[in-house]
Amino acid sequence: MAPQGENRTDADLTGEPGSSLHGVTGHEVFPYINMDTVPEEATDLKGRKFSLPVDSEHKAKKLKIYSFARPHMLTFHLSWISFMTCFFSTFAAPPLLPIIRDNLGLTKTNIAHAGVASVSGSIISRLLMGTICDLFGPRYGCAILIMATAPAVFCMSIVSTVDGFILVRFFISFALATFVSCQFWMSSMFNGQIVGLANGLAAGWGNAGGGITQLVMPLVYDLIAKNIGADNFTAWRLAFFLPGCMHIVMGLIVLAIGQDLPDGNYSSLKRSGDKVADTFFKVLQYGVTNYRTWIFTITYGYCLGVELTVDNIIAQYFYDRFDINLTIAGTIGSTVGLMNIISRPAGGLISDMAARRFGMRGRLWALWTLQTIGGVLCIGLGLLGSLGPSVVVLVIFSIFMEAACGATFGIIPFISRRSLGVISGAVGAGGNVGSILTQVLFFSNPSYSMEKGIMLMGVMAIACTAVLFLVYFPQWGGMLCPPSKATEEDYYGGEWNEAERAKNLDRNSLKFAENSRSERGRSRQEQTSDSAPSTRV
Amino acid sequence: MSAMKIALVLSVALLALVSVAEAGVSFKSLNSSKTLTVQAKIQATNLTSGQAHVGTDHLVISWALNSSFDGTGKDASYVNVKIKLCYAPVSQTDRGWRKTKDDLEKDKTCSKGITQQKYVPTGNTTIWRITKDVPGAVYFVRVYAVDALGTQLAFGQTTDKTKTTNLIQIVPISGRHVSIDIAAAVFSVFSVGSLMGFLSLEAIKQRKANSKAIFSFFRAAFTDIIRGQSMLREIKII
Repeated sequence: MAPQGENRTDADLTGEPGSSLHGVTGHEVFPYINMDTVPEEATDLKGRKFSLPVDSEHKAKKLKIYSFARPHMLTFHLSWISFMTCFFSTFAAPPLLPIIRDNLGLTKTNIAHAGVASVSGSIISRLLMGTICDLFGPRYGCAILIMATAPAVFCMSIVSTVDGFILVRFFISFALATFVSCQFWMSSMFNGQIVGLANGLAAGWGNAGGGITQLVMPLVYDLIAKNIGADNFTAWRLAFFLPGCMHIVMGLIVLAIGQDLPDGNYSSLKRSGDKVADTFFKVLQYGVTNYRTWIFTITYGYCLGVELTVDNIIAQYFYDRFDINLTIAGTIGSTVGLMNIISRPAGGLISDMAARRFGMRGRLWALWTLQTIGGVLCIGLGLLGSLGPSVVVLVIFSIFMEAACGATFGIIPFISRRSLGVISGAVGAGGNVGSILTQVLFFSNPSYSMEKGIMLMGVMAIACTAVLFLVYFPQWGGMLCPPSKATEEDYYGGEWNEAERAKNLDRNSLKFAENSRSERGRSRQEQTSDSAPSTRV
Repeated sequence: MSAMKIALVLSVALLALVSVAEAGVSFKSLNSSKTLTVQAKIQATNLTSGQAHVGTDHLVISWALNSSFDGTGKDASYVNVKIKLCYAPVSQTDRGWRKTKDDLEKDKTCSKGITQQKYVPTGNTTIWRITKDVPGAVYFVRVYAVDALGTQLAFGQTTDKTKTTNLIQIVPISGRHVSIDIAAAVFSVFSVGSLMGFLSLEAIKQRKANSKAIFSFFRAAFTDIIRGQSMLREIKII
């Protein structure tokens, strides 16, 4: 009745030769599938095929940059483009400042206040975005934020007072929280072995928006002022419609075709029971009580913080100290932002490569090395007195600092599975706090010259990076201490209490724990590891 | 690495530019050559100080060689005069981009050029409509006498050495238009409105799917019960 063996797809055996040639038919035999090997291409919970190899959480194990295939690569492109849009609009005012300051009668103090305002709004929003991502998903977080800040961008076109200008820059900076949704989204879609590279590429290309805007906004302004013939003071206002419309377009696209997880959106997965609905306080608790969150907040503050400060002051520094043309000073300033395209992903890649060999300990050492060298170069930048060497040191310094930022987000996905959003948000906010602290301490004080401020900034960066030595993962070790006998399941499972474990709410964390075993490094993985506890499905 | 190459090219180009820059004329050295007398009046009020509006008001600027230098030959090398609008100190405070520097190549006090005329000892008058790109600030007018290459040789200005007399306050345009205000409002409302619309659509779909799920759950349960009953009837239990 039933056909023998799975390799016979049809029961029609006419033309079969004798028993010595058993199994050979005149028909094409369907390729024999070896049931022992796991197929490279799995399907998601709804049965749709993935175009990239995936792990047990359905996170991609490869990155194909030229592809737009759903869900992994499409998500990659959506998240970096929306983050780039937000950076573009937040830093759209500085290149047009020569016109804006004349229009509104701004003084240097006003501009400095606006600069601080433009990085402080995102502190609150990055913290909030973390919890929103954990509870509602990065798709909603990203789209809601980007469309809610669009009115602030349009308000820039109608400001006429100094206070209005500062307020608008403050509100536009809320958009920088898309960084958190971007990193969260990448960590949800890409496996731990390439998460550093994925996070670095998305964040680096997004950060480059700060450099792109310094080139594009003046061009748009020129187009409107000269070709359309509008007055100067009207042309810059019209130019702001570009970032505003970019916000609206990206927000709609993310809502229409974005997807929270490889298997679908939070809402549909919660309904089918495949996504655990979590509570705000639990997620916050496990994020806040993990001491590693705060260590990385400090170190990122002196990594991204230094980069943001340099973005704000470097054109002025070169213009004032070396007396060069303002346009050239602006171009030099934009290179710092544009270096992000290569240096941040490079940092993520270095982190991933170090992890392949040495595991998490390699990641920590890579981060410390990159950031400390960046600090040393910052000191050097402050000490140099001539233009040419200063530019060279600036470029190399920005490469190392941005690589350190990329390497940081190679580690963040592993601090917690349950509170990934809260931690990403806190660390991201820390970057901005670091920038404000630095600008207030070293660049608002009239007794410090700008070069002294830059040098002190480098010293503080080296000091704050040293706290990395305090990070210790029981299952993987720290920079100086070897790992203990604890397992990944102990660490990630420890975020759920007995009652929750009994209800099987920790299943996603356990899957993640299994996939994160690669952070042990090559030598430990080659040893016969203690039998992995069976993952409850 | 191409990034390194770009950095190298950039730094070489900048070094080249720096080597080309030269120092300009020192303003202090011109102090002995204050040979021109300049007067600027607001056409509407015929006063040398007060408020003038951009786009509508005109400035009447007249300059001539100071009579005490007549026939001294000091103006032998003057070819042209450049008339400039300059910031008064009150508009320069806390604004480093308008700073007064002695080196005239780097001096930013008189960044707005009004016009250029040929030098004649008897002088000339010009009527200038204040252009719309002039920022709101307090100004005075300065006239430089230049040679054929544009190097400053002498000057004259409407105000005194401390730059406190005969200052004109220019009121700028805001740059805003009603159409821009309306467009900004419309786009903002569209952004927030389409976001709300999208979210409500998804909430409605969810509710439908939830009720569908509940409906199909009961339907399946009902069908199972019927099937169970017919099975039991088949095997003659009921």
